Amino acid sequence: MTCPRMEHDGMRYIDGEMTGGERAAFERHLDECGDCRRTLGELGEVNRLTESIMIKDPQDEFWALYWKSIYRRLERKTAWIFMIAGIGMLVGYELYRAFSSFGRVTFQKIALIVFIVGVVLLLVSVVRERIHQYRSDPYRDVKR
Amino acid sequence: MKRFAKANDIPRETLREWKRGSVKAFEVIVRATMKRAYAISLGLLGNAEDARDVSQEAFIAAHRARRRFDDQRPFFPWFYRILRNRCLNFIQMRARRREISMDVLSERADGRDRPDRDMIRKERIEAVWRALFALSPDHREVIVLRTFQEFSYREIAEALGISEGTVMSRLYYARKALAKALRGIGDQAHVEGDGAE
Repeated sequence: MTCPRMEHDGMRYIDGEMTGGERAAFERHLDECGDCRRTLGELGEVNRLTESIMIKDPQDEFWALYWKSIYRRLERKTAWIFMIAGIGMLVGYELYRAFSSFGRVTFQKIALIVFIVGVVLLLVSVVRERIHQYRSDPYRDVKR
Repeated sequence: MKRFAKANDIPRETLREWKRGSVKAFEVIVRATMKRAYAISLGLLGNAEDARDVSQEAFIAAHRARRRFDDQRPFFPWFYRILRNRCLNFIQMRARRREISMDVLSERADGRDRPDRDMIRKERIEAVWRALFALSPDHREVIVLRTFQEFSYREIAEALGISEGTVMSRLYYARKALAKALRGIGDQAHVEGDGAE
């Protein structure tokens, strides 16, 4: 059984988040509590190990391209939005025309039905994949 | 200490211009915060290419959501939530886990020149880095923010929307899990089960 003081006070001690007085009081507790001394030894060592790691700063070239890539992606996303909006408008217009002349079978109507079937199949496939991923996601309890 | 506030050294006027849609102002914001965004993503995802792509996507998402940003408040804590969600979604969605990048690591200089121990030190660093990616994302996140980004408890609490008490508890369990993972990897770091000093 771990001493309950370790969870909060122990972390504040390791991370230097205690005032001088709090630190002295916790050190007095450490003199008396072997459980805290053991856990502090273990977790303090883990902290020293992680503190010894540094992530290298990539070279200047990496950073020079970083912004350019964001800018290009922004442009492309805008282009996609315009394209999708255009397709939506065309499909809407064709639907309107199809309903206004319901009886006749035309090439446009067949093309429209093929397109809508494709979109529906795509949506069903994406939704099914999402549901499958959600059910098998080991991180689904992580709060976003 | 690097602080949230340091990443917030973006003039308020720049933030206002950005909210009005200025791409030039957006560039200033990206250049001021990109290194931190990349480092956090790398700590959460482990792969350098993924970290670059996901952090860039987070900036684009922030730009699209800029009207919701309150320019009276600092930029980075707001952006951090977008970045974090992108990273977590990426972990959830990716088809297979990419190789953890090892060439992004170095060791903090300790002032002692011991070339004979370089190999052991390198292996030790790699073992800790690997162990970090055996943790759950929320445990890994709190270690990345505290140890690599040197955030205070208050700043971590603000970034994650939790209390400082929860930050301490999460750090405690994250370090416990890391000690266990290190023992599992069988590294040479001498993290003893009984751990007495």
